[in-house]
Amino acid sequence: MAIIGQLFVNGLIAGSIYALVASGFSLIYATNRFMHFAHGATVAIGGYLLFALFNLLGLPFFLAALGTIVLTALFGLGMNRLIYIPLQRRKGSNIVLLIASLALLTLFNNVIMIAFGPGVKSIGWLETKTGMSIGGAIITPLQIWIVAISVVLMILLHLFMKKTKLGRDMRAVADNKELASIAGINPIKISDYSFMIGSAIAGIAGILIGLEQNLFPTMSTMLIIKGFTGAVVGGITSVPGAVVGSYVVGVVENIGILWLPSGYKDAISFGLLFAFLLWKPTGIFGLNKGVKDA
Amino acid sequence: MLENYVIHILILICIYSIYSVSYNLALGYTGLINLAHISFIGIGAYTSALLLRSGMPFIVGFLFAGIVASFFGFFLVYSTRKLKGDYLALATLGFAFVTYSILLNWTQLTRGALGLPGIGKPAFLGLSIGSNLEMLVLVFVVAVVCIVIMSRIIKSGFGRLMEAVRDDEIGLLVLGKDTFAIKAKAMMISAFFAGIAGSLFASYISYIDPGTFYLSELILILTIVIVGGAASIRGSIVGTIVVLLIPEVLRLFALPTSILGPARLIVYALVLIGILLYRPRGMYGRVDLV
Repeated sequence: MAIIGQLFVNGLIAGSIYALVASGFSLIYATNRFMHFAHGATVAIGGYLLFALFNLLGLPFFLAALGTIVLTALFGLGMNRLIYIPLQRRKGSNIVLLIASLALLTLFNNVIMIAFGPGVKSIGWLETKTGMSIGGAIITPLQIWIVAISVVLMILLHLFMKKTKLGRDMRAVADNKELASIAGINPIKISDYSFMIGSAIAGIAGILIGLEQNLFPTMSTMLIIKGFTGAVVGGITSVPGAVVGSYVVGVVENIGILWLPSGYKDAISFGLLFAFLLWKPTGIFGLNKGVKDA
Repeated sequence: MLENYVIHILILICIYSIYSVSYNLALGYTGLINLAHISFIGIGAYTSALLLRSGMPFIVGFLFAGIVASFFGFFLVYSTRKLKGDYLALATLGFAFVTYSILLNWTQLTRGALGLPGIGKPAFLGLSIGSNLEMLVLVFVVAVVCIVIMSRIIKSGFGRLMEAVRDDEIGLLVLGKDTFAIKAKAMMISAFFAGIAGSLFASYISYIDPGTFYLSELILILTIVIVGGAASIRGSIVGTIVVLLIPEVLRLFALPTSILGPARLIVYALVLIGILLYRPRGMYGRVDLV
């Protein structure tokens, strides 16, 4: 029984990280209607920026973290302005935008590889503490922080989307772009904000991953796969859905290793992705729009 | 030394021409959104490598590479037949990730990340390939035959149906055509040639691992097809030559090998983004990507 409890806790921790990635991915998808795979690169860049500012430049930790979040938000904005908006102006189809986003992902993976080398990097701000035992499952204080920060951020994001004017405008654009722009909402502005907010959350995900695990150049690909799997499972157009989906992915892939060797963890979540796309492409909470032929 | 290098590049150009023309047959001519072409190449390479390592003659591995890849081509079209747009793209990409993950984890069969070394050189009817020059002759002949067959298919009545599926699927349905059958056949043909090209690649390099058939390679063949242009065979061939030669510029800078690999991919990614932004139909493209 203890092993199940431990795997469940591991799943929650992994799910918290995936939720941070997926919520930004889903926010950007909902407001812009294309797949921004380079979101994974934003997460990795977040981790490496923290490493550069904190370990290499020697800034105080919280200043370095703040700088990381601001810079990742600008990084997301830059991709939108320099690549995606010009492509959309040229009437590039969704598949063109998607291919461009895969190219950006590959580009930044390799930029990181050259800038920081292929080896792993660790931030090492916190000394590793021994975990405490909760109901037989071991969890470290940092891991509790990760789950807590993730949950708090998701609640804040939810309140932002529901209660603020900008959040309402975003939901309006997500729901119907033409109608929203007739109502006087500037879709380019909303698109910029979705990229900045989504990318800032990705920056936070990068920071937390940097503290909990090591950084390595190809982490972006792994993370975006988990992120969009979470988003698809929950319903890609729904930010709360993406969060729930991410926890499902985290828990299922960890519990799954009861039956399969641990190397199959990724295969389990890819299988979940493929299964949902085939049988329930709208996910648990998504809208049934633009998924299938009528 | 230089001569060997030129032969190496020429061999790769022949093999990648088959990759790109077969990809264009599905993506450009039939308008099938497919981000899993690299998986068909990988499935072909592994099928052939495993058969050759178990002592089968080359021709068996070569043909089964095409047949098995073709089977998975059918599976992919069949399983995603109800999806469209972004979801279809995502499902095909998901298929590529699942394939990679299985190649990496089914260690009893594939040796996982260790890869498969010592894959035999091609041999036909008692003639075996020893030198790289002989290999070049073989891949050149195979590439010409494959591309001629594919261009015949494209120019046939069936080829016109493929293009009609891309341009007006509803119209075809109204005419009573089974568009699913057309898509499935087009994908199976595309995957078949990808598979046999993968078999040639495996035998030439003599070592494959799952990473050979992953995202970086997908970006490379996408770049080739988009630089050459959708729905153009000539485009894909010229695109292959141009794109494979572009990173040769990097040799001028005498970069260390640890940087050369990532630098090549940076160049491919920049070329791909640049062409999408400034010349989305590539060199000879006749249609926009759907």
